[in-house]
Amino acid sequence: MGVVVKKVELSWLDRTYVWPVAKGMAITFRHFIKQLFTPTSKRYTIQYPDMKKEMPDGYRGLHELKRFEDGAIKCVACFMCQEACPARCISIEAEEFSDLNITQGFEEKRPAKFSIDMLRCIYCGMCEEACPKDAIWLRKDYEVAAYDRLSMNYGKWELMNTYAEADGKERISQDNTPSVPRRTIAL
Amino acid sequence: MDKLASLLHMTPAIFWMVAKVVIVFSAVMLLASVWTWVERRGSAMIQDRIGPNRAKLFNRWPILGLSQLLADGIKFFFKEDLVPTDANKKLFWLAPFLAFVPALIGFAVIPFGKDFVSGGITYHLSVLDPGNGMGLLYPLAIGGVAVYGVLVAAWSSNNKWSILGGMRASAAMVSYEIGMSLAVLTIFMTTGGYDPAEVISAQGGALWHVLPNWNIFHQPLGFIVFFTCMFAETNRLPFDFAEGESEIVAGFNTEYGSMKFSLLALAEYSHLMTASALVATLYFGGWQVPFMPDPPVMLSILSFLVKMLFFAWVFVWIRWTVPRFRYDQLMRLGWKAMLPMSMFNLVFHAWRMSQGH
Amino acid sequence: MFMTFALITLLGALGMLLQKNIIVAGLFMVATFFGVAGLFLLLANPVAAALQIIVYSGAIMVLVLFVIMMLNSHEEEKAETSRPVQRWVSVALVLALAFGAVKLVLSSAGVKALDLRGAAMPQAMTLQKVGTTLFADHLLGFEVAGLLLLAAMIGAVALTKRNL
Repeated sequence: MGVVVKKVELSWLDRTYVWPVAKGMAITFRHFIKQLFTPTSKRYTIQYPDMKKEMPDGYRGLHELKRFEDGAIKCVACFMCQEACPARCISIEAEEFSDLNITQGFEEKRPAKFSIDMLRCIYCGMCEEACPKDAIWLRKDYEVAAYDRLSMNYGKWELMNTYAEADGKERISQDNTPSVPRRTIAL
Repeated sequence: MDKLASLLHMTPAIFWMVAKVVIVFSAVMLLASVWTWVERRGSAMIQDRIGPNRAKLFNRWPILGLSQLLADGIKFFFKEDLVPTDANKKLFWLAPFLAFVPALIGFAVIPFGKDFVSGGITYHLSVLDPGNGMGLLYPLAIGGVAVYGVLVAAWSSNNKWSILGGMRASAAMVSYEIGMSLAVLTIFMTTGGYDPAEVISAQGGALWHVLPNWNIFHQPLGFIVFFTCMFAETNRLPFDFAEGESEIVAGFNTEYGSMKFSLLALAEYSHLMTASALVATLYFGGWQVPFMPDPPVMLSILSFLVKMLFFAWVFVWIRWTVPRFRYDQLMRLGWKAMLPMSMFNLVFHAWRMSQGH
Repeated sequence: MFMTFALITLLGALGMLLQKNIIVAGLFMVATFFGVAGLFLLLANPVAAALQIIVYSGAIMVLVLFVIMMLNSHEEEKAETSRPVQRWVSVALVLALAFGAVKLVLSSAGVKALDLRGAAMPQAMTLQKVGTTLFADHLLGFEVAGLLLLAAMIGAVALTKRNL
């Protein structure tokens, strides 16, 4: 089936070519002036290292391992995220710990090692979906880069501190003992 | 001036000559390289972008991206100087100079300010003094020769895209030169002389007491023809058939890199400067200041510079407004529109002159 | 100055003749045109110099090179078997002609007059003078040349365009 192309009849003014060029120049000049007097912060272009784009809600950026208010890790090393991960970039080593002060002889689980290989991660958010404790979040930081491959393998402490500065929290580098037994905390 | 000349053991005349050559050509070269920045920033502003603004002088002052020029220059100097194996080596080296030199020396006859008298000697503010007999034929001749840079670059690269670009450029230049020459001829005719100084002094005074007596108001048709042909002569969009980035890679400069490429680019911008100086001289009264019969020298130079740079900006402005022509459209415009229009212009003004205007 | 321009002209012509590559030969020819333009300048005729460059280097040679490129005749055709007799005869003929021309010029009245008076600087040619000469003194010749060119143009169009 052919398409009938309608031929545009140009007016004599348009056929002189000079007038349309003048009109076009007026348009480009308007853009020029508008852009010239727009302050840098309001232009379309984001001057990247100096300015950063505010990502929309639901953006899946760099992961964070969440912590309780007392600083203890929320993760219970259930391996759900590791199973869910399609890129197989999460590896967890679990350990048991007992908090003798509160519940005698009661042992709980937490990850001894928790690492995500950011080079393999595809930021699909499946780990976030799978987590029963809401312990892993994909948040809005998108500047994940390093000078070598090894440092792209984020360990437990790095993952816990990824958003420490942004949230104004303390960086932590050792396991805090929870002040209350975990199973009593309603999530 | 005389003291400076005697310090250098030269007569004032020779000193003045040397100074003129050095100042004018270095100014044109400087303006040409600054215009690469104007082109980039201007195009960015027109397209709601920002353009190069991050290169910093001594890692501190960005000065609106002007230091990008220096960065580019340094980069070009230190890039590998590649010559294709099958290229004609000597011509490949010669071509950038063949492009650059005519683009630059076309400026020589154009007066960029009013003459002044100092110590009993009249100093002319143009590299070639008026009355040299060549007058405005000189830039026309040089403009005709400028195509060899493109042609030689195209052919010596031994690349099919290049040859296509070179052939298009030569055909376009030859066809547009005729319309341009006829437009200029009309000005020679109405002025009664072909020396740029005469052309400019004929444009002094006022027209109907409200407009400056510039040729543009006498010959708007001639101006349109001349200006359009200048786009074809300088190989700039909408007529950049020598380059044709989207169709023939980069046309005549496909194989060029490093300093040779930057010479070719600089040649284009020098050509642009010369072309806009010609437009200012022929149609906008050169150094004449409107409604000022006898302007001071500095003001006349300023007036010329303002006019020239305005037209250089219009070249940039139009480039980012108008899309490129197709090749047959270019030829049709050249032969079926520009040539008859300039002919009509010529005959019309001949008729007016015969009526005693 | 004269020597420079004469050398440019001669070397350009020689290069053009000896060059195997046809495009390089064309560029040598452009150099020759520039030399001739320089000679015109020395003869106080800047108009002729400018026209020489505009017409010959700017238009004609560009078109010639254009055609050469279009036909893409990069390879020189094989030289025909050399005929020594022909070559020597042609060299002798050229030498005789050159000798005759020099002799003719030296014995002409103009040169003798120059000898007597010394070379007076001729008045510089201007475009106005060219115009008056063409349209007043040589009007008939000018018009005939124009007619000839018109006929040639029409002929070229008629030959190249099969169905008008």
